[in-house]
Parts: sequence; structure tokens; C-alpha cells
Amino acid sequence: MGPSLSGAVVTLMVIHLLASMVVAEMKNLRSAVWALVIQSLTLCCVILLFGWGEPWMIAWFACGLATKVFFLPWLFFRTMRILPQREENPMVGTWVSFAVVVVSVLIIYQLLHTYLATLVPTASAAAEPTRSSLAMAFTVFVLGLYVCIVRRDMIKVIIGILLLENGAHLALISLVPARPETAMIGILTNVVLSAWVLLYFGQVTYRVIGTTDTLKLSELRR
Amino acid sequence: MTQPIARESFLPLMAFLIPIVFGAISLLLRKSYPRLHAWLALTGLGLTAIVSFRIFSMVTHGWTLTMWGGNLYVDGLSALMLVLSGVIGFLVVIYSMPFIPTRLLDVRNSSRRLSTYYGQLLIFLGMMNWTCSTNNIVMLYLSLELTTLATAFLVIFYQKRASIEAGYKYLMLVTVGILCALMGIALIYAAAAGLPKTQTMGLNLLLISDLAKTASKMAPSLVLLANAFLIAGFGTKAGLVPFHAWLPDAHAEAPEPVSALLSGIVIKVGAYALARTITIFSPGYNAIVIFVAIIASASMLFGILMALVQDDLKRMLAYSSVSQIGYIVEGLGLGTYLGIYGGLFHLINHTLIKALLFLSVGAIVYTAGTRKISELGGLGRRAPKTAACFFVGALAIGGLPPFGAFMSKLTLFIAAADRGLMWAAVIAVFTGLLTVACFVRAAYRIFWGELAPNREIVLDGVGEVPKRMWGAMAVIAVLVLFLGVYPRAAYPLLDSATRCILNVLGGPAWAGR
Repeated sequence: MGPSLSGAVVTLMVIHLLASMVVAEMKNLRSAVWALVIQSLTLCCVILLFGWGEPWMIAWFACGLATKVFFLPWLFFRTMRILPQREENPMVGTWVSFAVVVVSVLIIYQLLHTYLATLVPTASAAAEPTRSSLAMAFTVFVLGLYVCIVRRDMIKVIIGILLLENGAHLALISLVPARPETAMIGILTNVVLSAWVLLYFGQVTYRVIGTTDTLKLSELRR
Repeated sequence: MTQPIARESFLPLMAFLIPIVFGAISLLLRKSYPRLHAWLALTGLGLTAIVSFRIFSMVTHGWTLTMWGGNLYVDGLSALMLVLSGVIGFLVVIYSMPFIPTRLLDVRNSSRRLSTYYGQLLIFLGMMNWTCSTNNIVMLYLSLELTTLATAFLVIFYQKRASIEAGYKYLMLVTVGILCALMGIALIYAAAAGLPKTQTMGLNLLLISDLAKTASKMAPSLVLLANAFLIAGFGTKAGLVPFHAWLPDAHAEAPEPVSALLSGIVIKVGAYALARTITIFSPGYNAIVIFVAIIASASMLFGILMALVQDDLKRMLAYSSVSQIGYIVEGLGLGTYLGIYGGLFHLINHTLIKALLFLSVGAIVYTAGTRKISELGGLGRRAPKTAACFFVGALAIGGLPPFGAFMSKLTLFIAAADRGLMWAAVIAVFTGLLTVACFVRAAYRIFWGELAPNREIVLDGVGEVPKRMWGAMAVIAVLVLFLGVYPRAAYPLLDSATRCILNVLGGPAWAGR
């Protein structure tokens, strides 16, 4: 990859990470979804840049654009018409959560960037921008797990699941950008259907139980 | 080790296409005559069972069935899963025919609900058959995800608060788990793709059979990381501790025939995915064997200890499934003929036994209106056939002779000790004793125990369940007993399935290691 493309990838990575953190921390769910749109758009652009000129990567880029940037956010907005727009306070307090996210991201990214050569001993992983991109991928994956565990709102948890998916896809394109099978994996493993069904379950839950706060789903704990 | 002969066949395609087509038809005919959906399901699954048995016959005669350049690949292990799902699915539909309508007596749009029930059931079984027929690691992930989606609609079938909670928890946790598996798949694929072209020439790196050929050459750190993700991911689907949180709620709140499928088939699909993936690497990485043994032993012990303190029959059975899946995964993880044979034999036994137990609980709920052990007693006089079926299941799950689970557990104990994992064998034996205590106590309490005075009036007039229900249970009970008295009957399929895994373990990738 040439220096200009490499520079573009690094820039997109920084925007991607910032958007991921906003997605994780934003309590206004509509704003969180918009941040997710930016996060997904940067991912799609990274896919295009890593596989520059390859037709199968253009196909993955187009599919990602259609699903992650347009269809899924539309589904979220449509679902949120009947749901509360603001999530409940997370299990960890707002400022504590923000601090945890910032510190964790910095530590995980730094650790991965330093020891990536041991973990992934391939020639491509040792060089930039793959090294930064791969570190970013695992960081976003861990951030997605954090959101799924700590956030109470169903919609936020589903957004966390999309962060997990994006982290896995970023790892995939970073490690193997030059094969058509990579695009096939990326296109087929979109969690569009799962997210759609989860959003449907969110609507049903709100209709029957009257809340999307998972802490209030306590019938089974009795 | 002799290799089976591969031949092109459309049977693997039919095994998953038939139930999916019938399921789609059932879903489309939502407003039609209610009984139509049950008969559609019966026809679809009957045809699927015929295809499964034909596949079984061909595989045990030394064939491997392939299609689409090896993307569909049915060997002994796949055939075993296809036969199990065909038999259990068919019997569950027969059981559901009198059972489910009684659950919808006060529901307005019962035809639509029946359409959803049978439609999703067929689609789930079709997706499950696809999972067991595919050789493509991405399709394995995709089909597992689709089985989760289909079963999630079945878990929330009653549309009550508890079932919606359980359904959401199931879908959310298993989706998170499967995404961990996706990361593992991406890493495995990357490890193979990073090899020199001379080592991967002519190989399709998305096919599990081709990935196995490169397993010994992959970077160890990447392999270990990938396996950790795969165990977390597929282990969530299988209900292994500590990824099991969805299991008790989903099993307890789903309709009883669905619980039989969840415990009998859904979690086995997770174990199947683990068998297909981690066994590729376990010969060269003792750490994987130890890690799997630790998780399996933790599942065994935790599951049965939680089962012992349950008052809800279905939650007791659910936690027991967490325990029993530990046996299966431990056997598969040992990597020896005896271990894998024992694990697969226990897979068959547990599928049949747990289906029998859940259907028996369904009969108890049908007849007595409750599934709480403390509210039951003396049902043996009122429902003797149900009592007999439950007792068969209770004794079988405890691993007592003359039932098949005695042989499968004994095989696993010996295999673990033989592999040098004495501690795992001791935990398995101890868990078996606790299982006997748990189930015999529950069975005695329900069918022979004293009923509380206020419950006598409620249960007055309660009798045996309809013929289709106890008939389905009786067939499974006979199969459970048959496999115990004549375990050799399962030998051709089990041997074929075991050798499939061993062909990978001892194949060219690991030659000389």
C-alpha cells in the first residue's frame, strides 16, 4: 500500500475509534446511531482502501454501505419511533464509564500495537497501516463487549453487537486484504438479520413489558 | 487409516432444503386451516427423516457425500447429527399435535401462532441440517446464526413476559457468542492465508477439510488465540460454563416440545461446531485439550449442583443439560478414539434422554398444570405411562445400567483416565452420582410422593395424556432402552463418525507429530 493510501487509512482509523467511543458513551440513542453511521462509513472506506482496485473489495464496500450505513440505521430509527429516545443510566456511572472507556482504549491499543508481532507473526501485520488497523480492530471488539455487558438499554446492547461485528470485519480486512474469499466472508457474515430480529424483540418487549431497560427484565430472577 | 470414498450426491442438499421449503409454506399459509400446519410439518420431517436414513446407509457403507465442489460434505459425523435431528424432530411434531393447541385455547389468532410454531420449527431443523452438512467455515457460522434466529421465535412462542425475557436473553447472548466465533474464524482464515503459496496451492481456505491440511503450519500464537475465540463462541451455543447464562431461561420458558429440541439438538449443534473446528488443532496443542477439559469439567459440576437446588422441573432439566454437555465436549476434546467415541455416544444418548424428559415434563404440565416439584406428588397413579417414561429418562440420565448412558459415561471415564486426566475422570464420576441423586429424588417426589392437601382438589380428575403424546414418549423410551441393551446397534455410525474426526487428527497435517 502506498504512503498516501496508508495515511488515509490511519486518518480513517482515528475517526473510526473516536466514533466508536461516542457510540459507546452517547446516551441519546439517535445520536449514538448517527455516530454508528460514521463508524461504519469509516470501516467501509478502510475496506475499499485496503483492497484498492480489487472488484471483490468494491463489492464488499458496496454491501457494507448498503447494510451498515443505510439499512441498519434506518431500522434503528424506525424502531426508535416507538421506544424511549434516551437510555437509562448504565450500570457504571457516566463519568466513570467514560474514564473506563478512554483508559481501556488507550491501554488495549498500546499493548496490541507493541506486541502484535508476537500475536500475529505475519510480515503484513508487522507493517503499517495493518499494525494500527489490527490493534484498532481488537480495541473496537473489546469496546463492543463492554457495551453489551455494561449498558442497560436493549437498543444500546444491539449497537454494541454491531461494534463487535465491525471489530471482527476490521480484523479480517487488516489481516487478509488481497483475497476474494475475504470479501465473501465479510459480505456473508453481516449481522443484518440478527440485528433486525433483535430490534423486533425490542419492540415486542416494550409492547408487552413496557420497558427496554434490561435490568427491569427481572421476571426470571424471581 | 482408510479414507471413505467421496461421491457427488444431491442428498445433502435435500436434507436441509426439504424442511426449509415446508417451513416457508407453513409460514406463508398463516390464515389457513390450523391442522394443516401440523400435517405439513409431519410430511416435511417425514421426508427429511427418509433422506437422513438414506444418507446414514450410504455413509456406513464407506461413502462420503459431497456437492458444490466440497462445500457440502456429509461424512459419519454429519450423518449422525442428521439422523438424530430427523428422528427427534419427527417425534416432537407428533407430540406437538395435541399439546400445542391446548396452549392456545385462549388465544385469538391461533392459526397464525400455529403457522409460526411449525414454520419456525421446520426452518430451524432445516438450518440445523445445513450446519451439519456444510464443509464451509463461513456457512457453518451463518447456519448457526440462522438456527439461533429460528429458535428464538420458538422460545417467545407463549408471548408472555417471562418467555419474551428468555427469548431476548437467548438471542442476545448467543449472537454475542457467535460473533466471538466470527473473530476466531477470521483469525484461522488469516493464519492459513498467511502461509506461503506453495503450502496452500490447490486448497480452498474456506473449506474446513482444506484448513485441516494446513493446521500444523499455522502460527501457534494465532492458533491459540483463534481457538480461545472459537471455544467462547461455539461454547456459548453449546451452553458450556461460563457461557451458559441463556440456557436455563430459554429451556424453562419455551414450550416443552421446543425445550426438547433446544436441549436435544440446539446445544448439540454447538458441540458439533466445536468438534469440526477445535479438533483440527488439538493434536498439536495440548493446551487446547487441557483448556477444553477444564471448561467441560466446570460445566459438569456447576450444572448438576444448580440442578439439585431447582424446584422448577424444566430449569432442573436445563441445568442438567449444562452438566451433560460437559461430558460430550470433554470426550470430543480428548482427541483419542475412546474419548471421541464416548463423547459421540453420549451425544446420542443425551439427545434421546433429554428429549424424553422434556416431553415427560410437558405431559406433567398438560395433566397437572404445574411444573413445580413442590406442588406435585402421587402422579404415578394418575398418569402411569408418563411416570414410566419419566423414570426411564431419570435412570438413564444418571448413567445407570441397563441404559446407554451407562456405557457412554463409562467410556468417557476410561478415556479421560487413559489420557492422563485423572482429575477430570473423578469429576465426571462424582457428577454422575449427583445426577442420579437429583433425578431419582425428583421422580420419586413427583410420582410417588405425598401431595399437599390443597393440591388434592386441584389434581382430582387428572389423568393420562393423549395417545400421540405418550406414544412419542414411549418410542423414545424404547430407543433409550434399546441403545443400553444393544449398544452395538449404534457402532457403525459412531465408528464412522469417530474415524472422520480421527482422520483429521491423524491426517497428513499432523503426520510425524
